[in-house]
Amino acid sequence: MNPILIVKSLTKSYSKSILALDKVSFKVNQGKVLVVMGPSGSGKSTLIRTINGLETFDEGEINVLGIKVSSDSDERKIQKIRRRVGMVFQQFNLFPHLTILENITLAPIQVQKRCKNEAEEYGMYLLSQMGIESHAKKYPSQLSGGEQQRVAIARSLALKPELLLFDEPTSALDPERINEVLDAMRRLADQGMTMIVVTHEIKFAKEVSDQVLFMDSGKVVEISSPDIFFSKASNERSRKFLNQIDKSKSIK
Amino acid sequence: MNHMNLMLIINLFNKLKKYLLSKSKKKFFNFVALVILISLSLKFFNWIFFNLNWRVVTSNLNLYAFGSFPSNEQWRPTLWFASLFSITLATIYGPKWNWLRKNLFFGWIGTVPLGIYLLKGGFGLAPVMSRNWGGLTLTIFITSSSIFFSLPIGIILALCRRSSLFLIQKLSSFYIDVMRAVPLIAVLFFGQLLIPLFLPFGVEIDRVWRAILAFTLFVSAYIAEDIRGGLQSIPKNQIEAANSLGLNTFQINLFILIPQSLRIALPALTNQLIGLFQNTSLMSILGLMELLGVSRSILANPEFIGQYIEVYIWLASVYWILCTIMAFVSKKLEQTMTTNKGY
Repeated sequence: MNPILIVKSLTKSYSKSILALDKVSFKVNQGKVLVVMGPSGSGKSTLIRTINGLETFDEGEINVLGIKVSSDSDERKIQKIRRRVGMVFQQFNLFPHLTILENITLAPIQVQKRCKNEAEEYGMYLLSQMGIESHAKKYPSQLSGGEQQRVAIARSLALKPELLLFDEPTSALDPERINEVLDAMRRLADQGMTMIVVTHEIKFAKEVSDQVLFMDSGKVVEISSPDIFFSKASNERSRKFLNQIDKSKSIK
Repeated sequence: MNHMNLMLIINLFNKLKKYLLSKSKKKFFNFVALVILISLSLKFFNWIFFNLNWRVVTSNLNLYAFGSFPSNEQWRPTLWFASLFSITLATIYGPKWNWLRKNLFFGWIGTVPLGIYLLKGGFGLAPVMSRNWGGLTLTIFITSSSIFFSLPIGIILALCRRSSLFLIQKLSSFYIDVMRAVPLIAVLFFGQLLIPLFLPFGVEIDRVWRAILAFTLFVSAYIAEDIRGGLQSIPKNQIEAANSLGLNTFQINLFILIPQSLRIALPALTNQLIGLFQNTSLMSILGLMELLGVSRSILANPEFIGQYIEVYIWLASVYWILCTIMAFVSKKLEQTMTTNKGY
């Protein structure tokens, strides 16, 4: 089991007094799924965005796929990482002026310099995996939120990444659309994709994840397997958080 | 006391309104208005068609269209007009095939090199000096060439103005601010009178190209600002998504930012185009024979002396019709570019 991602005492502050990340350290092994949970403002999104260089950090070190990044690393190193790490956003962030297929083939053609036919063939394959190949010629605004998010997943897969990052992929979706996206993610996990998922979906975390990382105000509160985390969380803070979520679920 | 007066006036006004707007009265006033309108327009048309002598226009139509372009070569500007006209029709009424939609834009760009080739000659066509270009041909030529050159320059200026490199950003801001602070006529005079002084010995740019150069310098600053507006309205998460796919800055600009900002800036760009089209008439002061210049030279002809009204009504109609067509084409282009894209 070789680790794909090693994060060592990562620290970032937006202003002098507030630490967005406070000495965060963890490891993700190949083929494993790490779920990151925590209250809003706890630094989950910041953490996941530092991994592919969308956020800078002040101290510490990230080792992604053997590429070591420190706070003063240059753009080129980050580019290298981005080509091997896919990312899915909360707001899908599809390109509205391109068709679904063009959204997916843009990066393979421009970044990996693959020929158009090959990229389109693989793009269609990915779309059929996501169950939306009939929408290939449409534009993003013609699709529902769930479909758009599945396109976004297909787009991030088009570069054949070795690690996938999900930043609250279901938070912007209608409740009845959430499952179609979670199912797609579940299938990816079954195929052995290494994933880091920021989410509030407890059911998904219980069933799919290998490890749960709980954060609060920039610190890692605990890392444990889902069985332990959801039944007998060792830390007071995480128990409180789980109770809150349970309450809000039962109200619904 | 004042307050009482005001109340009285309002009361009176309301009563008057009630009286005027009762239903039968409304019909009556409508009828009166209609009669007045019809009699006025009859008088107007009578004046236009019978009192005015349109021979000043009809006998000079050739001059208005081509200036002093040699008559055995006039098929060339005619062919150019025909190509412009057909691409206009294709834009407005063309079928909605995907490939056509995508290539219309390039078709429009292609009309400019075609125009340069057809007017200038060379490569198998007899060369025609630019001093013989005139009339509508010259007006449209200056407009389209200036837009052709200022659009890419404007895009580059807009991107530079948002650049993180200090010097590039400041230089581009400086250029844009200076150009927007100088009146167009000053830039045109600069182009006609000063540019020849700055050129190295032996290099000459003729008057038409100097005019196009001056218009390009001026309009590109305005276009840059329009495009910057478009760039600013693109959400930041588009850049993040492109970044996370490993695209570099150049690719993000080319494939993500510029296409979206052009679409957003299209109404403003049309505005620039129409403004530029009308501003080409300023070149008549500097001795070019475009539409207004031709009119002035016709009015100086002893045969037509004093027929200002006919010439200027005609001129206004030509400008009006062409500007309306441009606005209509742009509206259509906007629709074909937005269909199904929802932004």
